[in-house]
Amino acid sequence: MLHFVSLINKIKKVRAKDLIVNIESHYKKIILPFVLLAAGIFMAAIDINPQYVDPYKLEYPDYFGNRISIPENNPTTKQGVYLGRMLFYETKLSSNKTISCASCHQQKLAFTDGRAFSLGVDNVPTKRSSMSLANLLWVRNFFWDGRAKGLEEQAKFPLSDPHEMGNYLDKAVIELKKTKEYPILFKEAFGSTEITSEKITKAIAQFERTLISANSHYDQYLRGEYKPSEQELKGMELFMNAPIPEKNIRGADCAQCHGTPKMYMELFHNNGLDAEPKDIGREEFTGAENDKGRFRVATLRNIALTAPYMHDGRFKNLEEVLDHYNEHIALSRTLSITLKNRSNNLNGKNLGLTANEKSNIINFLKMLTDSTFINDPKFSDPHLKRHQ
Amino acid sequence: MKKHFLSLILATSLFFVGISNDLLAQNSSKEPVVKVEGEVLKTLSLSLSDLAKMPHVQATMKNREGKLQEYSGVPIIEILKQAGVTLGKELKGENLTKYMLVRGSDGYEVIFSLAELDPAFTNRVIILADKKDGKPLEDGVGPFRLVVPEENRPARSVLEVSHLIIKFAKE
Repeated sequence: MLHFVSLINKIKKVRAKDLIVNIESHYKKIILPFVLLAAGIFMAAIDINPQYVDPYKLEYPDYFGNRISIPENNPTTKQGVYLGRMLFYETKLSSNKTISCASCHQQKLAFTDGRAFSLGVDNVPTKRSSMSLANLLWVRNFFWDGRAKGLEEQAKFPLSDPHEMGNYLDKAVIELKKTKEYPILFKEAFGSTEITSEKITKAIAQFERTLISANSHYDQYLRGEYKPSEQELKGMELFMNAPIPEKNIRGADCAQCHGTPKMYMELFHNNGLDAEPKDIGREEFTGAENDKGRFRVATLRNIALTAPYMHDGRFKNLEEVLDHYNEHIALSRTLSITLKNRSNNLNGKNLGLTANEKSNIINFLKMLTDSTFINDPKFSDPHLKRHQ
Repeated sequence: MKKHFLSLILATSLFFVGISNDLLAQNSSKEPVVKVEGEVLKTLSLSLSDLAKMPHVQATMKNREGKLQEYSGVPIIEILKQAGVTLGKELKGENLTKYMLVRGSDGYEVIFSLAELDPAFTNRVIILADKKDGKPLEDGVGPFRLVVPEENRPARSVLEVSHLIIKFAKE
């Protein structure tokens, strides 16, 4: 009898053990999918830089500094830049299918169009001259009046303007969806074939950030690889120096506003074009009277290629620009203080540069032309290559 | 009836006074101001008349030619106190990595560390000037200019000041 009881107990123990093992394996079956699901959600949540994009390495000289602007929600990627380049040269973004960004921003002209005012879809001239594009990575407020914060914001303006590209962005989205290549390119750049106007401006902004000009003779001179001519050196000195007639120091003081190796500072000044400007410039955007006639101090990178000059293209060549700063500054309440009472002559009424000095400064300005930049295949029309 | 008529006139005139005040307020939105923002407890937008109500002191700086010039204005520290910036006893630890970015309306920008502005650290008084020789500042300089005494170059004495922005230096 005793033996029987102990046997029963043994069986019970075995069953209990089996039962525990069974329960455990059952739990495992339930828990495993949960664990996988949680891991999936967790990975998706932390995956801000998905696997399908490669970062684009923006290369520029140390002397440009690193005060660059790239929004966190639009990192520069190889796929995004390529898509942006395709869109930059895409005429389907305009209402009559003839205008792309590149129509007014042509690479051979350092991304301007050689005109005082550009013509859009309906041949109505733009209000201001098309700006050259170079080293936009360091620009924070875009356009002649600084109204757009960031390249993504900037790109919306010409796309949405009825006279520039014909306010066609929403319809262009539909057009691009119908193509074979664009849904794939958007998937590669942004992870899904969905095309939106926001993704279009993001991609264009990514491409524009890569437009870095840093191989002019001036850059080569800064790196010790180019020996400037005597005229270029004299021009450079005049460009950098402020005039102090008491000490016999001659200068044009251009660097006061166009200084630093980038040849660009983010400033908005009234440079004395008119006593009473027809185009009130930055005042239109800020509403502040002190901004009347103020415009962006333009980059001088590739300046010899970007004629005609000023926001209204009123000067045909660099000679006319130098004549303006030397002899024709129009006085007004908002004239930049840096252009007031500056002269190379004691009690002089204007800057007082000689013809020879002006010519030397122009020689220096020509040192800022970057032929690598305007011929770089990375910035050229990708559609042409495809059709060849 | 006469009473009603009078009260109607009164109400109508009050209405128009109200409208003209609104219009004035709209116009004044375009008047130049200095905005104080960033790491502040209270953002400020100071007009010339706001500044006139604050305590003024004199400050002297060298101009580009090296000549001394005297201005009158409000110590920056007083403006920052009004905005609730961490100063005095609070200016320690990580707060010592804060800076003030000064922006002119032409986009020109310079910075000062908070410790450069606080009397607990320095005796130099930097002011936001609104007058020179008792007169408003000239076009292109004012209506507000920073005056930084004891500096050899006037490059940080920002002209046409439009913003004082307090920020953390982020490495």
